[in-house]
Amino acid sequence: MLSRANVTKAAVVTILTGVAFGAGEVRKEFRYVVGPKATVSVTNQYGPVSVRPIEGNQVVVTAVLHSDKVVVDQNQTGNRVNMFSRLLPGADSDTGQVEYELQVPPDTNVMLHSDTGPLSAEGLRGEIALEGTTAPVEVRNVDDAHVHIKTMDGPVTLTNVQKGHVEITSVSGNVNLNQVNGMLVEVNSNSGKIHYDGNFGDNGQYRLMSNTGDIEAFAPDTASIDVSARSIHGQVENDFRLEPEQTTPFLMRAESAFAGTLGKAASSVKLHSFSGKIHLKKRSSKNK
Amino acid sequence: MNCAEFQGLLPEILDSGETPESKVHIHSCPECSDLYVELREISQAAVQLRAGEEPNQRVWNLIEIALRQEGLIRDTAWAGPTLLPTPARRWRGAWLAPIAALLLVMTSGIAVLQHVSQRQPLAALNQASTIEAGAAEDQELLNTIGERAPALRATYAVDLRSIDSYIHNAEDTLKSDPTDEEAQRALMGAYEQRAMVYELAFDRP
Repeated sequence: MLSRANVTKAAVVTILTGVAFGAGEVRKEFRYVVGPKATVSVTNQYGPVSVRPIEGNQVVVTAVLHSDKVVVDQNQTGNRVNMFSRLLPGADSDTGQVEYELQVPPDTNVMLHSDTGPLSAEGLRGEIALEGTTAPVEVRNVDDAHVHIKTMDGPVTLTNVQKGHVEITSVSGNVNLNQVNGMLVEVNSNSGKIHYDGNFGDNGQYRLMSNTGDIEAFAPDTASIDVSARSIHGQVENDFRLEPEQTTPFLMRAESAFAGTLGKAASSVKLHSFSGKIHLKKRSSKNK
Repeated sequence: MNCAEFQGLLPEILDSGETPESKVHIHSCPECSDLYVELREISQAAVQLRAGEEPNQRVWNLIEIALRQEGLIRDTAWAGPTLLPTPARRWRGAWLAPIAALLLVMTSGIAVLQHVSQRQPLAALNQASTIEAGAAEDQELLNTIGERAPALRATYAVDLRSIDSYIHNAEDTLKSDPTDEEAQRALMGAYEQRAMVYELAFDRP
């Protein structure tokens, strides 16, 4: 294991600059030696940032700059690598674009920031924090990771997230969760729709909340959940035959709320909306 | 010591403890006594908050607006609301930071519950002032975004309008049933979304 000091000393930054890569585009590559559980952050105003795992102890960053109106600032401090797109005078959403591709050890903590995105991460198991304004956000195949997503308009898609700790805040982007399980899965959306398709596993707490967006959740017959659903001004539907609960935190009205348990009620599921429609659906075999 | 002098020294008193003079004033002035007790409770509770987290700039603005309405700070050369951080606006930052974080919660979701309570020294931190402050801040935010990233201004405008509209609706619902915990939670969620929008807009290098 590299000590913090050694990491700094051993940091190898290889920059291949000035490689022509198309009209006005420049491709740069940066390499850093890091220790376990390094942190990599990228702040990019315009353009995509993607991260995927790589074996070894190197972080490899490829940046394609769309013009000379933008530069990439970067540094390594200890076990932390920072990348930052700096816009120069006259830059706009086209000329200010930088495309980042990161390859990092799987236990790396990543913090990605792009207004327009897309942002994507796959195959990691550290902290994953993704923030965007209109950026589409995608996270795939992560295990035992903390996933924090903040977005305004961008759609969010999580696929195959296991043993996760997931927190998503969205204003108007739709949120799609496919096979997402964990101790905590929480979505807070304003007008975006929330779609969940999974098992509600891991004895977790699942809180899918929307203000005005609809919530649709698919679960199998074999799900083990303690579920409550309520839409204050919207409709709710439930395809399951739930065991009734002794107490519920809100007044039960058939058209606006339901609660009950399925199986051994290992996971807690709350589907709450202010005026959106909520539908808990039974996943048929063809949906699998 | 009069009220103005006492309130001017409040940060130091909260930081370092009561002085003989301030003790006399606390015992003789119920209004300042209530204020002192409340701020001390908040300050003590705030210690439980996670250290090292700088509140969003919007928090500072809300605090400033509330304190101005309370008359605890007064105009010097205030030329209107600004969301750009300046050292001067972070007066007494060391002690105010945790209080600010707590007050953000109070001014957002939990503030809805305040009308149930009759404790009034910080009553200016109510929904109306928050909304008024919010409108001015929204405009400031949109101006800033317009300068930094014109293409995104419309997105911010639409989303802020959408959240504000929802907040108004949720508040109306809460008026009809202030004990509805789900509605309270939903409202707090909306304020979180609003705070996130500000964070995305301003927490950039």
